[in-house]
Amino acid sequence: METIITRFVADLRKEGLRVSPGESLDAVCALAYGGLEGRGSVRALLRLTLVKNVHDIPRFNKVFDRFFRKYPEGMGVDPADLLHEAIISMEGEEMLGTNPEMVNENMSLAMVDAGLSPEDLKDLQSLKEIPLDQLDGSEIEIRLKGYQRAMEAPRPSMRMPQNPVTMAFKPPAGQQRDLTFSQEELDAMQDAVSRMILRLKKDIRRVKNKENRGKIHVIRTIQKNYRNGMVPFLLELRRKRKQKPRLVVLCDVSFSVSHASQFMLLLLHTLHNRLMDVRSFIFNAELAEITEMLSNSPINTMMEVIDSGAIVNLDDNSDYGKVFLTFKEKYLENLRGRPAVIFLGDARNNYNKANDWVLEQVREKAGYMLWLTPEDRSLWKRGDCLIETYGAWCDKVEFVKNVEELNVIVEDLFRNIYLEDEHRSMRSINKAEEDQGYDYRDYYTRGGSRSEPGFDPEGRSHW
Amino acid sequence: MTEQNVRELLRTGGYIADEAIATAVFLALRMEKPILIEGPPGVGKTGLAKTLSAVMDFPLVRLQCYEGIDEGKALYDWEYGKQLLYTQMLRTQLDTHLSAASSLRDAVEQLASEESLFFSQNFLVQRPILRSFLSEKRSVLLIDEIDRSDDEFEALLLECLSDFQVSIPELGVIVANNKPLAILTSNGTRMISDALRRRCLYLYIDYPELEREVQIVRARFPEICDELAHQMVGFLRKARELNLRKPPSVSETLDWAEVLSILHVARLTPAVVANTVGVISKHQADLQKVVELATAELT
Repeated sequence: METIITRFVADLRKEGLRVSPGESLDAVCALAYGGLEGRGSVRALLRLTLVKNVHDIPRFNKVFDRFFRKYPEGMGVDPADLLHEAIISMEGEEMLGTNPEMVNENMSLAMVDAGLSPEDLKDLQSLKEIPLDQLDGSEIEIRLKGYQRAMEAPRPSMRMPQNPVTMAFKPPAGQQRDLTFSQEELDAMQDAVSRMILRLKKDIRRVKNKENRGKIHVIRTIQKNYRNGMVPFLLELRRKRKQKPRLVVLCDVSFSVSHASQFMLLLLHTLHNRLMDVRSFIFNAELAEITEMLSNSPINTMMEVIDSGAIVNLDDNSDYGKVFLTFKEKYLENLRGRPAVIFLGDARNNYNKANDWVLEQVREKAGYMLWLTPEDRSLWKRGDCLIETYGAWCDKVEFVKNVEELNVIVEDLFRNIYLEDEHRSMRSINKAEEDQGYDYRDYYTRGGSRSEPGFDPEGRSHW
Repeated sequence: MTEQNVRELLRTGGYIADEAIATAVFLALRMEKPILIEGPPGVGKTGLAKTLSAVMDFPLVRLQCYEGIDEGKALYDWEYGKQLLYTQMLRTQLDTHLSAASSLRDAVEQLASEESLFFSQNFLVQRPILRSFLSEKRSVLLIDEIDRSDDEFEALLLECLSDFQVSIPELGVIVANNKPLAILTSNGTRMISDALRRRCLYLYIDYPELEREVQIVRARFPEICDELAHQMVGFLRKARELNLRKPPSVSETLDWAEVLSILHVARLTPAVVANTVGVISKHQADLQKVVELATAELT
């Protein structure tokens, strides 16, 4: 019996579930207690003891089905039987080897090797039709990635003939994109961030000192001065609850914004847990949380993993609508303490469903919403860019063209969040009054004028 | 007792459990381990604890978590007021008591030997967790919505839930007389730490299967006929797929069943849904969608 569990747990771990020895011991105990009547009961027992997270349940079921596949349902289960069957099923699996059904007749063996589908080949064919001298690097890349929606999407040349921002963020065509940061870059960034943190800390200390100058906490003071015969020598002041401001970042890692997002991730990595609680997500067509990774692995390793497409598939077109929907379903409920939410992306939705109603709900949970885009304002109305739709729900939309700007904006934001904490209760009352009948969609006409937003000397836009 | 017994026992309390729930309860009783229940709101997480307490005749000790809850609210607290009052009242007694002492040193020593008096059970306020540990018979300890509390509080629970003991610096370790059947519920608004998860059996209660939900309705409201029960449960299941702000849950199903039985409704029609939609949908934005679904589905 113990052997079965050990082997089953090993399988679970292979699938990426984290099962502790204590939990496998629990499972053995549970099986000993449990009646073991039928597969459902065994499944329930094992699941209760080995799985500690909803998201892991499907993977558990998969492993369970694979592990006990050969086991005929409906028979009374004897632990000895189980062991026997389990061993047969596992060894039988190895004998089977690869599944021949997987190989499609229409595919040549070479294609199978390269993981190409017939559609891919068709796309490659269609590329030939464009005269070579009209092509630049980004065009090929968009053609290649855009094949799924080849009919709907406009030709890239129509979409952004000469996009200065994309150019600025993209190394010259033909040159291999730098996947990792050099040591100098890393040092420079760490330096900049450290300086930023020092500056911020001074501000924060000031705020905290002010916070501590609160009212006397009577019970604690008495308690503290118990030994002094209740004479309040040592005062205990009521203080606001210690709380790191919370930050949620959703970062588009698709090719068009990759350079900006890389720096964003680097910045997050440096800031993570030093000043605030950060939850970070990356997305392309799907969404993935990387908070844990950010705190555990060195930045270059992480970048490599992200670039290899292991977390989110980089070959897809970014799909903001779907990502927002996933975010709502899986994470929105988890947003506590009115975090600041930052989106980084160009909001190019590839003509997918916009789903901007999700942002309304994010807005309700978030204390502050900021959208950072690497694209210039003049390009916002072109093609599939939904930034005006999405931006309408945000407190601010900022255009960042380089790392220094990103730094300034983030520093600004952090200072805001920390200082805001001070007055948040007051402000929220005022804001509630102000907000009555206020439609966030009026955003672009804020202040009654329909004028274009102005730019301050640093080139940032304000509404 | 087997898992099947548990299921029948819960059924007598009007709680229709599926296999996983019954197994979890059965194991928790045998292994004396807490259960951590997650799932959408209103699917019967708290209800399970309440039913268990009723059918097993264990007293229910409930601790509702909130942001900022601390050990003073969950484990124990000292009654400072009472301590102060007693010091005042005992002052004269103290004088006579200490007058026997020959020297100051003697008096101090005598006083020191009595000092622990003020930190004894007399001045200890038992909060829910300690109360359930010290209760005369086994109890159900319901720690509700643990995800609303802070990380610190979660860490505090680790000792309580793995060893069923509480350390009080002034008194030492207090071990539970009767290990309570601990049930922790969470709506998943925050990730619970792995440490806490490891100490618990993990049960995820999802929206029930169609047949089970019908059974739940029928168990509570036998006057609702089988056909209507199927119809309303089927409708609500469709409504759950609508991407609503707040999808109707089992508790809404039951509320609705009650309303329908009061109104003597025999069959669902769009008009009935439109009149009672407030029971199943609690968001202005959702109302419209539900009514639209009704017109599409029920005509």
